Amino acid sequence: MRKQLRVGVYICHCGRNIAGYVDIPQIVEKLKAVPNVTMVKDEKYMCSDQGQAMIQEDVREGIIDRVVVASCSPTMHERTFRRCVAEAGFNPYLYQQVDIRENCSWVTKDREEATAKAYAIVQAGVSRVKGLKPLWPTEYPVTPTALVIGGGVAGITAAIDILEAGFKVVLVERVDHLGGWARRIGRGFPTLIPVQDFLQNKLEVLESYPQLTLHLSSEVVALDGFPGNFQATIRQVDNTTIEETIGSVIVSTGFSPFDARKKPEYGYGNTKQVITTVELEELLEKGMPSDNGQPKEVAFIQCVGSRDKSIEREYCSRACCMVVAKQALLLKELIPDAQVSVFYMDVRAFGKGYEEFYEKAQRKGVLYIRGNPSEVYRAGDKMIIRYEDTLLGRPQEAKADLVVLAVGMEPAEGTADLTNTLRVTADKDGFFLEAHPKLGPLDTHADGIFIAGCCQGPKDLPDTVAQAHGAAARATLSFHQGQVIKEPIVASVDEEVCSGCRLCEAICSFDALRFDERRKRMTVQEAVCKGCGACAATCPSGAISLKHFLPSQMLSWVEGFLL
Amino acid sequence: MPAVPPAIQKVLVIGGGIAGMQASLDVANAGYQVYLVERYPWIGGHMSQFDKTFPTNDCAMCTISPKLTEVGQHPAIELITNAEVQEVRGEKGAFHVRVLQRPRYIDEGKCTACGQCAKACRLKDKVFDDFNMGFGTRSACYLAYPQAIPVTYAIDPDHCLMVTRGQCGTMPKCIEACDRQAIDFEQQESSVELEVGAIIVAVGYEVFDPRMKPEYGYGKYKGVITSLEMERLFSPSGPTEGEIIIEGKVPKRFVFIQCVGSRDQTVGNPYCSRVCCMYTAKHAYGIRDRVSGAQVTVCFTDVRAFGKGYEEFHERVQRSGVVYRRGLPSEVSARNGNLVVRGEDTLLNRPYEEEADVVVLACGLRPPRGMKEIAAILDLAVDENGFLKEQDPHDPVVSGRPGVFFAGCCESPKDITDSVSQASGAAAKALAVISKVHG
Repeated sequence: MRKQLRVGVYICHCGRNIAGYVDIPQIVEKLKAVPNVTMVKDEKYMCSDQGQAMIQEDVREGIIDRVVVASCSPTMHERTFRRCVAEAGFNPYLYQQVDIRENCSWVTKDREEATAKAYAIVQAGVSRVKGLKPLWPTEYPVTPTALVIGGGVAGITAAIDILEAGFKVVLVERVDHLGGWARRIGRGFPTLIPVQDFLQNKLEVLESYPQLTLHLSSEVVALDGFPGNFQATIRQVDNTTIEETIGSVIVSTGFSPFDARKKPEYGYGNTKQVITTVELEELLEKGMPSDNGQPKEVAFIQCVGSRDKSIEREYCSRACCMVVAKQALLLKELIPDAQVSVFYMDVRAFGKGYEEFYEKAQRKGVLYIRGNPSEVYRAGDKMIIRYEDTLLGRPQEAKADLVVLAVGMEPAEGTADLTNTLRVTADKDGFFLEAHPKLGPLDTHADGIFIAGCCQGPKDLPDTVAQAHGAAARATLSFHQGQVIKEPIVASVDEEVCSGCRLCEAICSFDALRFDERRKRMTVQEAVCKGCGACAATCPSGAISLKHFLPSQMLSWVEGFLL
Repeated sequence: MPAVPPAIQKVLVIGGGIAGMQASLDVANAGYQVYLVERYPWIGGHMSQFDKTFPTNDCAMCTISPKLTEVGQHPAIELITNAEVQEVRGEKGAFHVRVLQRPRYIDEGKCTACGQCAKACRLKDKVFDDFNMGFGTRSACYLAYPQAIPVTYAIDPDHCLMVTRGQCGTMPKCIEACDRQAIDFEQQESSVELEVGAIIVAVGYEVFDPRMKPEYGYGKYKGVITSLEMERLFSPSGPTEGEIIIEGKVPKRFVFIQCVGSRDQTVGNPYCSRVCCMYTAKHAYGIRDRVSGAQVTVCFTDVRAFGKGYEEFHERVQRSGVVYRRGLPSEVSARNGNLVVRGEDTLLNRPYEEEADVVVLACGLRPPRGMKEIAAILDLAVDENGFLKEQDPHDPVVSGRPGVFFAGCCESPKDITDSVSQASGAAAKALAVISKVHG
């Protein structure tokens, strides 16, 4: 007779996160009486090395056959503990993580209720873990070519790093030239060094690599395959499409400036005397218009299209404060007797040398007025700005020959389509969503797809460059290794049962199912399958199951709750 | 391109905070050997001291702990803790590095982190707990925090009686207590010689010393604390296990002062420290969340909530009942056992006084101790504020010395997100130097 499975249960206090709300000693005692549970331990932080070592010791001593850790959400630490048991010589899929923090202690105030709930969750985990089967990952070779979408500073920077490391790059740019918005910037802040020198230098380096394939006036319209071996479909200017095989993707599609017409109270579009910072940037390079003499009074208005709930732009655009400080200072140098003022809410001069630059602008006579104008209107040949000076606490009016609106950044046109094409997520403002706000700023939730620059959120040039270098590293880790490793939690089709109805094919978001016409059976491309389980749920004859989530495994889980 | 000898396919990372950890992991996960040199006995840096991270209020330890473990267990990362880089010779592709490793006095191979040595130590509860910012005490043998990597105790050479005086009673208690015989006072300083193709500098920052602003009374009044001290009070593994208790009492009235040691010419720090606005918002929110009926005021000049989700978080903090008062206080004093914050409200245009139980100073970020020395060893320039200077101001990652790259706050203050991005960036540049594809 087969010997009884021995389950080890390890309960995490998570400091006070769990222990503060759940009576752990009580759960430990009750678990000792549960059949198959032969080991129960608790620890302040199971994720700590001590906690992990405790599990590994029991695994190595051969006194347990299955492991349950009751701690946080699997998204937090499932990988940690799978690796932990694997290192001790266990198949990682014989491990079950149960969540008694996010799903229990954090949301259940009453201690008794929280304890009862935590116990039920743990007990169900024990019931499930008994039915788990060992699984093994698969290794696939990698095509060491990166697709970079967007040829602005971010895309160029990332592409150079990848080429420099000896790999290939396919760079797709929507317009007929590289450089993006940086082409339209005169001088950088805070150094006032011409940005074109920086850009030209980068372009020369980029174009010196024969391993670069450049598609100008082109767009990525489809992405198939899987990390390490994607097929990208690129539509070219003549509407023909070509396919490129690539190993990873970097999205660096940048931003669009906010359309100032959406703030009609500032009068943009009605008069040449109200312009945006984008327009002023070019004027500062090409020379200010002097048909009516040079402007003697210039007013900048900050946060146009930023920090503004009324137009659903709650976020800060991060670069405008410094763009304005730079332009104001340059204007002051160009027209020394001009009065240059800046209407602001908070001056966000946070980067290296920025605060000092802002100081300098003030010293050179740029007048900073705290308050956001409510209205700009014409009176004779002047523009009148109505505002409340929040420092003086009263409404005021100011005159200007030229009003400059510091327009914020929005996702570039077409961003929503591209997120769909790549099957990645956008954040609430429409920018690409990073995998983790702190530790995964360059990754997306889709393996093999990375983000750099303003497509992830507004940022200035140095931060864009740093992020672009970073995305290059992330996108090439598997190239250096030469392979990708695929998790084994995928769908599988029982050919005896499959009737070939093809209902599942339409439901798969990842194009992972292929119909075998000859045998009239569905098959799964395991490398593409994400293990979402949609096909399994759809199949009317129950022919598809998801490994690690087999019906029997799910049922024993549910049974565990009913015990 | 001219033929160059193949680069040594190894990377040195200096500094084991979150930037150094991320850079190490990227290089190691690409399949190359990393030496991670850390001055402290454990990696984790400042982030391991934080309670939560803005703007999501995620538990900082839960976020960093998988990374700590991954670094500690990675077969391609060799941790060299308690160590400092002493000499760097050679050039991009082939650097020769000498590292001085100080004795830990505990054998890493034998220690199981059972903690018996700390319990037995004659100086138990007598040593200033630096990890907890001086809230509470520890022994001379210690593990800074439960998740610390490597999971090995260390002996504090500045306090241990055996190290400082050569004698601890007739026999050190720790030796008696350790049943694995891991305590070893015979350990000596040793030199480690490394050969690497590229170097990533991630030596981080230190917090501004608020004693340089005596008008705020830090060191004079117990109720005046720094933001890093606040983090430890919030932390469930901190000295109060997450309870907000100061001097045995639960304070009710909190005033936060921003820009302490930032944007301040008088202390020689004209720059903005980039993180204080947001960590203060996080603290203020945390107080409203945890201390019922707490009054919270934040004194600020400009709120710099510029990152993703930051503005929205700042809004949420204001909605939670935190009062933002524009204008930095001129003085903190004491009256009838209360702290008194005096300043000018620049929006109301009048001077004010506000009583408080606790004043939290949002201290800025400074170049770390020893920055000049490490810059000299690496032959790198520092900027006017003492941070490392990049070759081109448009590119924060690339140093003036080929093959040497920057990650994190040693280049200039930045938050965790931006440090992590830059760290991956430094890894990309280092990988380009050492890539085996060239050979």
